[in-house]
Amino acid sequence: MTNVEGSKADEDGDEVGEEGHAGSLCSIVADVKEPEADEVDNDGIEAGRAQGDGVAEDSNEVSGESDDENNGGDNEGVLMTEAGECVRDAEEEEKWVPVTKLGRLVKENKIRKIEEIYLHSLPVKEHQIVEQLVPGLKDEVMKITPVQKQTRAGQRTRFKAFVVVGDGDGHVGLGVKCAKEVATAIRGAIILAKLSVVPVRRGYWGNKIGKPHTVPCKVTGKCGSVTVRMVPAPRGSGIVAARVPKKVLQFAGIEDVFTSSRGSTKTLGNFVKATFDCLMKTYGFLTPDFWRETRFIKTPFQEYTDLLARPKGLVIEAPAEKIEA
Amino acid sequence: MESNAQKLRGLTITSLDEEDDEPELPHRSPPASGGGGGDGAGYEDDDEEEEEEAEVTLGFLEKPKHPGLLLRHLFPSKAGGIPAWLDPVNLPSGNSRCCGFCGEPLQFVLQIYAPIEDNAASFHRTLFMFMCPSMACLLRDQHDQWKHRQGNPCRSVKVFRCQLPRSNAFYSSEPPKHNDSDKPLCPGAPVCHWCGTWKGDKICSSCKKARYCSEKHQTLHWRSGHKSDCLQLISSSEASSSIFPAVGKVPASKSWPEYEIAIDYEGAFDSDSCDESNSKSLVMQRPGKPDDMMQSWMDQFEADADNKCWASFQERVSRAPKQVLRYCREENAKPLWALSAGCPSNADIPSCSYCRGPLCYEFQIMPQLLYYFGVKNEPDSLDWATIVVYTCKGSCDQNVSYKEEFAWVQLYPTTTTRS
Repeated sequence: MTNVEGSKADEDGDEVGEEGHAGSLCSIVADVKEPEADEVDNDGIEAGRAQGDGVAEDSNEVSGESDDENNGGDNEGVLMTEAGECVRDAEEEEKWVPVTKLGRLVKENKIRKIEEIYLHSLPVKEHQIVEQLVPGLKDEVMKITPVQKQTRAGQRTRFKAFVVVGDGDGHVGLGVKCAKEVATAIRGAIILAKLSVVPVRRGYWGNKIGKPHTVPCKVTGKCGSVTVRMVPAPRGSGIVAARVPKKVLQFAGIEDVFTSSRGSTKTLGNFVKATFDCLMKTYGFLTPDFWRETRFIKTPFQEYTDLLARPKGLVIEAPAEKIEA
Repeated sequence: MESNAQKLRGLTITSLDEEDDEPELPHRSPPASGGGGGDGAGYEDDDEEEEEEAEVTLGFLEKPKHPGLLLRHLFPSKAGGIPAWLDPVNLPSGNSRCCGFCGEPLQFVLQIYAPIEDNAASFHRTLFMFMCPSMACLLRDQHDQWKHRQGNPCRSVKVFRCQLPRSNAFYSSEPPKHNDSDKPLCPGAPVCHWCGTWKGDKICSSCKKARYCSEKHQTLHWRSGHKSDCLQLISSSEASSSIFPAVGKVPASKSWPEYEIAIDYEGAFDSDSCDESNSKSLVMQRPGKPDDMMQSWMDQFEADADNKCWASFQERVSRAPKQVLRYCREENAKPLWALSAGCPSNADIPSCSYCRGPLCYEFQIMPQLLYYFGVKNEPDSLDWATIVVYTCKGSCDQNVSYKEEFAWVQLYPTTTTRS
């Protein structure tokens, strides 16, 4: 895997190092789960940039053909296009029929940004919602562990996959799945990771010029015995952390941070979750920017009540994370 | 899948840490890909029930080739539009066709033609489902369905079953030839001009030609155009058919868009057969030594009962994401629940109100139907997780032509919490 160390941030926050994350594992992932290849690789470039083994070529091919399938099976709207002909065989995998009301709202583009969902803490039950609202999501398999269970006839082995997804710009998710086959576990973990995508708040170390690049304050997360503490760092420091949390932080879009960890960090599960927990807390920390009184807006599921009938215009309370007062 | 297996064997399962707590295998290639599904001889599957699952039939919506295909003498299965009544004369009447809460006549959801092979009395058998389009009524219905034992509860979701023997007064004993020459033996009863669904036994008192099923529909039709047409109709004796919709056409009101239901077996969609019990593997089986730290972390990310249920629902549905109907009338059939809360126990399911026999699960409708119907996503628009229908096991044959069956509504929790 290339460019594991934290990259220096460019002026526009473009993270070069992150795009080389894929490595051979991701290519295999793209190979075995064809329909989602276009979510995993944003374009064929990604697969091409992976190490040039035979695997990469296969995944190139696969993503190519699934792209064709996508273009061909591009059913707009509700109705089946060909009268009387069932379209359920060919475009089955690509077309998403939402099952929840939130899914239907997202599908018809009534909800444009995932921040609207975060604002009301609505549970996201379909991973396609996240895929549609956060388009640049990339994933990486952190670890695949075989775990065993003793049975009368020997041992039953299954594989547990840990997957981190993120768009490199303030959204990360973490998923764990155990299954009999590696591919199934990876696929399931990616779905679970997408369901658990949370926003990450970034701030400044000192002068507020340019884009936010580090955590807004010192935060700490804990899981099991592992505690991870993140401290704001000046620009250009890079991510000063162990391999495992560094990956998560790269996906989160944090460019500079000092970290300190304690506890049994060799337990990868706890370590990753502690980092994730720490990132979740960035938006939970009350800073003076949030002292202003909240003006609530109605959720998509709530009827308009008198509480919301204010004469002034309604203010969306999703705090702008870029420029802070 | 062979090439995949080879690539996976080449995959080095490196741990980023030196050792792990779990009893990890030494580096061994994963088992052969075929070992996933066909565990058969070797392994004991006491935790994962690999019981014989009943064959489930799925229903998908399609636009009909032309609307004439969905008339009643062709015994269609359809959704939306108006019902193609099996017994065209003895339609449900009175309170059974109204919502128990708001009193509005119910709106047609779907009908399925589901005859039973060995039962001569149900050579033709159709199940009709009706629902009140108001979410408030559905919420109350979901609340009230638990109270079935206290007399006849009010419902807003109603299912009717109608069956006919092979030789009957309405259709010929020969199967329809589907070449546009099929006709029913006798015309049906007139239906309401507004909804086109229910029997129109009330007549407009001025023109004596417009028929309605209820006062509410008469008012609606009057306001939306009959007021001007009425006087015209009094004068003209014929030509009334030009103003009123012909048989089978969409009536004045807004019913849900009409589709035909196409049937397919779920087994046809099994892409990865070695993928079953995916959902159960959400909860990791405990390794040799219980690890509290891992366990607490697992609980956060993986399972609680609701999530597990939802995960298995998603996984099952994802095999055929466009399904709107799941049908299985076999003995060991179990409905696919979306949530673990809100499931009925055996005691909650009543017995048949006509023959006192037990009810058994027959079919359930899925939330994808809302998407195809184009139901809006306002806070007060219809939304359900699944609606499961239980019908009389013996498919009893009583005096009433349309017998009511039992429907169980399961809603998503967000729709029930209102602040």
